[in-house]
Amino acid sequence: MTMKKTLKLNLGPQHPSTHGVLRLILELDGEKIVSCEPDVGYLHRGMEKMAENMTYIQYLPTADRIDYLAGCFYSELLCRTVEKAKGVELSQRVKTIRVILLELNRIASHLLWIGAFLMDLGAVSPFFYAMREREMILRYFEKLTGQRMMYNYFVFGGVRKDIDYIEDIENIIKILPEKIKDYEKIITDNPIFLKRTKGKGILEQDVAFNYAVTGVNLRASGIEYDIRTTDYLYEGFKFKPVVLEGKDSWARYKARILELKESIKIIEQGLNILTYGEKLEQNLINPINLKLPEGEYYNEIEAPRGLASVYIKSTGDDKPYRLKWRTGSYYSVNLLRKLLVGEYLNDAIAISGSLDIILPEVDK
Amino acid sequence: MEIKEFINTLDDCKLEGDKIVISGGLHRAIESAKSMSFDMLKSITAVDLSNGEVELIYLLYSVENDENLFISIKTNSEAETVTDIFPSAVADENEIYDMFGIHFLNNDKLKRLYMPESWDGYPLRKDYVSDDTRLAWNDNEENS
Repeated sequence: MTMKKTLKLNLGPQHPSTHGVLRLILELDGEKIVSCEPDVGYLHRGMEKMAENMTYIQYLPTADRIDYLAGCFYSELLCRTVEKAKGVELSQRVKTIRVILLELNRIASHLLWIGAFLMDLGAVSPFFYAMREREMILRYFEKLTGQRMMYNYFVFGGVRKDIDYIEDIENIIKILPEKIKDYEKIITDNPIFLKRTKGKGILEQDVAFNYAVTGVNLRASGIEYDIRTTDYLYEGFKFKPVVLEGKDSWARYKARILELKESIKIIEQGLNILTYGEKLEQNLINPINLKLPEGEYYNEIEAPRGLASVYIKSTGDDKPYRLKWRTGSYYSVNLLRKLLVGEYLNDAIAISGSLDIILPEVDK
Repeated sequence: MEIKEFINTLDDCKLEGDKIVISGGLHRAIESAKSMSFDMLKSITAVDLSNGEVELIYLLYSVENDENLFISIKTNSEAETVTDIFPSAVADENEIYDMFGIHFLNNDKLKRLYMPESWDGYPLRKDYVSDDTRLAWNDNEENS
């Protein structure tokens, strides 16, 4: 009897389609994947250890850097934890500003994913289209906050300054729906795209639960779980979580396209709430000598890549005793152990790409 | 509501704020939580309590009832693995092993995750001293 020989193959860490530095150790039988072992840690910056040696205001800009494509979400989490611990209420205008910026950030993040995913599959031009639209949003952020990616705009108890250049946002949400239609024309029913994504990387519901997959990936498997529906920031905003039954890579793509449209709706409602002349009322918390009361704090938010949460244990000191981030991508990487088994090597890129993994979020 | 029912199934536990503190029988507790519609293990958090003990906080979630459940257990250096119940725990347990040095029994996938294989010490422990000579910013005598 001859033993079946398998081949070990390193995918990454310098592979162009790993969106950062992810190394997958694949075991191949011919072209079929027998097992997959993700190896992470190439971008580890010790975010949680840093927190223990920094005061809250010192750590706030660091929070933006956990996920450089969706920085707003993590600074919002940290701000929210401090605000809730201190019992500070936000005014409606501050909440609305935050929602608008979070959703703009989400659109920018999803747009980059659409471009990068299509590039993984070999289609280069959608990348340029998506980056073109994302650029409008980044330009707006640069105008407003002075930064293109790590905004450091949310502060404890409010925002750094009042929102401005509203006509730019209006312009963005006027242009975007047309552009999304263009993407759909080029991508959604493209036969090559369909062949590479339809029925590939099927994520069953029980697997999704067992591997703690959240966010768009979970909703594309037919489970309605969107924290925004219970989030206090989003109170009064009308939107519908995007839930699709497809379970495959294509459904995850489609869900993100539909989510762009929902985000645009939320921004429109936000702009309606922002009456131009209304004064900005903030309950800013003095960051100097800021101490959280002794106890444990846990907060969640719906980030573009799934559930993000922060756990802070405070001993009444001006630094957190322990701070733990939960990021969506970390669990998506772990899911690859299961999802890639039995698939062909050339689908591995398409499947791991469709999960929207971003490595700084994994490595923290 | 589900949480109250769940507490009744445990022999030895007490409620501290939001979390249920158990002193043993972790595997059984997680298993019975899963059978009571807590079908997702969102995360495992480890906290070094600076008295030689590490607290592990298991956060479970029930999609059906939109409810979070915190189960906490204190340990010295070992804990039962729950990877056979929730495969997502492979990721969490590996991270905790790397950062806190907790050995999860019967989990054969444990390895250094973020740190190199040859690294001494566990960085998120409170008694960890970051004076490793391999750190680039450490001035040693030869350089100065």
